[in-house]
Amino acid sequence: MYGNTGKIIVVDLTAGKIEVETLPETDYLSYIGGSGLAARLFWKRGNIQADPLSPEAMLLFTNGPFAGLKLSGASRSSIAGRSPLTGNWGDSSCGGYFAPELRYAGFDGIILTGKAAKPSLLVIEDSAIRIESAQAYWGKGIESVNRSLKEKFGKPWRNLVIGPAGENQVKYAMILNEAHHAFGRAGFGAVMGSKNLKAIVVKASSKTMNLADSEAFEILRQKLNPRIKGALASDVMHVNGTAANLEGGVYSGDVPIKNFTSNFWQEMAESLTGSVLSEKYLTHGSACAHCAIACKRNVAVMEGPFAIPDGPGPEYETIVSLGSMIGSMDLAAVCKAGRVCNDLGLDTISTGVTIAWAMEAYERGDITPDDTEGIPLAWGDMETVIDVLIPAIAAKTGKLGSLLAEGSAAAARHIGKGSSDYTAHSKGLEVPAHDPRGGGHGLALAYAISPRGACHVAFPMLFMEMGACFYPEIGFEYELEPKTDQNKAESAVIAVALGSIENSACFCQFADREIGIPEWVELFNTVAGYGWDIDAMMLAGKRVFYLKRLINYLYGRTAADDVLTPRMLEPARDGEPEGIEINFYGMKDAFYRLMDMDMVKGIPVKSALVACGMVEEAGRVW
Amino acid sequence: MEYWKNENEPIQAFVKLFQAAMVDDELSTGLKKVNQLILFDYTEDGPNCSFWMDCRSGNLNVGPGKPSEEPDMTMSLSADDAHRSWSNKLNPVMAITRKKIRVKGSAVGLLKLVPKLKKVAEIYVDVLKDLGWEDKILK
Repeated sequence: MYGNTGKIIVVDLTAGKIEVETLPETDYLSYIGGSGLAARLFWKRGNIQADPLSPEAMLLFTNGPFAGLKLSGASRSSIAGRSPLTGNWGDSSCGGYFAPELRYAGFDGIILTGKAAKPSLLVIEDSAIRIESAQAYWGKGIESVNRSLKEKFGKPWRNLVIGPAGENQVKYAMILNEAHHAFGRAGFGAVMGSKNLKAIVVKASSKTMNLADSEAFEILRQKLNPRIKGALASDVMHVNGTAANLEGGVYSGDVPIKNFTSNFWQEMAESLTGSVLSEKYLTHGSACAHCAIACKRNVAVMEGPFAIPDGPGPEYETIVSLGSMIGSMDLAAVCKAGRVCNDLGLDTISTGVTIAWAMEAYERGDITPDDTEGIPLAWGDMETVIDVLIPAIAAKTGKLGSLLAEGSAAAARHIGKGSSDYTAHSKGLEVPAHDPRGGGHGLALAYAISPRGACHVAFPMLFMEMGACFYPEIGFEYELEPKTDQNKAESAVIAVALGSIENSACFCQFADREIGIPEWVELFNTVAGYGWDIDAMMLAGKRVFYLKRLINYLYGRTAADDVLTPRMLEPARDGEPEGIEINFYGMKDAFYRLMDMDMVKGIPVKSALVACGMVEEAGRVW
Repeated sequence: MEYWKNENEPIQAFVKLFQAAMVDDELSTGLKKVNQLILFDYTEDGPNCSFWMDCRSGNLNVGPGKPSEEPDMTMSLSADDAHRSWSNKLNPVMAITRKKIRVKGSAVGLLKLVPKLKKVAEIYVDVLKDLGWEDKILK
């Protein structure tokens, strides 16, 4: 096998049993790698109906075929399984340094089941794999555990660590690599915690990879790396991070404000944008493995109530979710809130959006002082957010901490009083920091049809609507007007296949934009030897999307679940999109027809599955 | 060229546009934040079809032709697409993706202008009217 190693580590934590298995090449050819391969393995061998926080639940870490290549954006990885936050299929992507090290060690992924009797650490040193006690790390924050692991094993060892939120099984607990790079979404930190697994460390002694056509890949690499580095978007993100264009986003109405009640706040735009972060708090930029974009931020706040030492800084999603969403334009406070979430192991998007919902509920009187045990919830009160709410959520302490630790959808169901109407989620996953009313109506469709729930990176819809994509080879050569429904269903058909390819390849969405469709094919063929043409590649992407839909169907999710909350579909109250309605159901119906999906069941019709070669899968649902 | 009779017309309009922008409170503040020397290069439509804008160190200057110093950023496109762009009728991201706009140097400062493009377009309409070029105004 080329590019991929074909080998996965299978760990039963209950029995302490570790095996290495070789996967059939057809799994890769059909489902690419990354989250696609994870879906395939989950479908084939997972206890799909198991409670995600039970020992029976399966947790999968999977690389894409490009992990470890000296190519910008190529070394992300996926985590997948049943999400404890949504109860549905979930996957999450992480940059950093874990994926290449695991690849160099000889593995494409790890499958975890069971529950260790005591807090544990999975140690992978080339082909030597063992489980050690993590008792010394349990209860500690991610920053200190990262430091301890580096001291114990050495700096070249790469790690994945959960924080106290994961140990306490907060539904949106995350996992961090090197205390900086996040498997943020869908709550897989809680799954690791439920298995008593505090961390995974990996080290390879060599960094070789076996490619299908090394010479041809090298020629392609020499072409792509300078292009990715030299792209305008890369340039601005290199200098000012992923929030470089936050100000422009506010003017277009893309940036959510105060629980999606506003689409314009000029003063906030000028206070939270990436250039201000660079001017005031940036100590240095940093990068994921082999990436020249280097959009990561490291910041220090030297003085004031939100002072923090030099360390990982917030990216766009964190700045908005823990800033404008909760009514704050205090960038120092945002930096500190992000740092605290990182250390405790909380997804900053779900944390911010859940707190924003709670603030609005308190303002409306739907959450009372009795519910909060006297803690006042006010927009922009960052002292309370940082010192009280975030720690309470991570520890699940008190009425309020326990309530918010379940996520906004569950919390609203508990509170009632119509408060679900002003939650912002799809399928239980909180909406990220792009408001489709301003960012693009196609994004509303993408949020709703995404198997894991509201997600801006499942498919490149946002990029397609802003004009950053041009793929004539697969029929995307037209211009999209963001704030309309025109051509959105048609472009979403392309987006779901392409997004599934990108996420299964575990490629960074920022670098992706500089790779043309024929070059994607060339990458798969020169690295992994897939022998694809464009049609075969696009079919694999479609197949991945279909399979994730089928898994959700087994959880009882149907077309009725492909929706957004009433708040997300209200016409915007101000800003550039003011008053414009989203023709959500029109786009959805058209998309279903174009994708051969059953209008009630929400899954592909049998003939569509068979046409994709998914005969066994079709037999399980039809 | 679709909109211009000769290479001088677009430069006349664009220089006048930025002279007007520089005396507008909101836009002059935005332009100063750009803090770069920028060359707008439309020479695909004529050897003298270019102008520059100097927003460095809190000063604002604009002039036809090429600047005497090396620009921090050069933006190359056709004079017609520039007309569409200043009229807010061209998606700049899409134009860059499709290579209609080619950027050399750092575009970090230029992002400061993105939120102001609507206002620039409003002034541009006035400029075209002042020049007696109502027929060039894009609806």
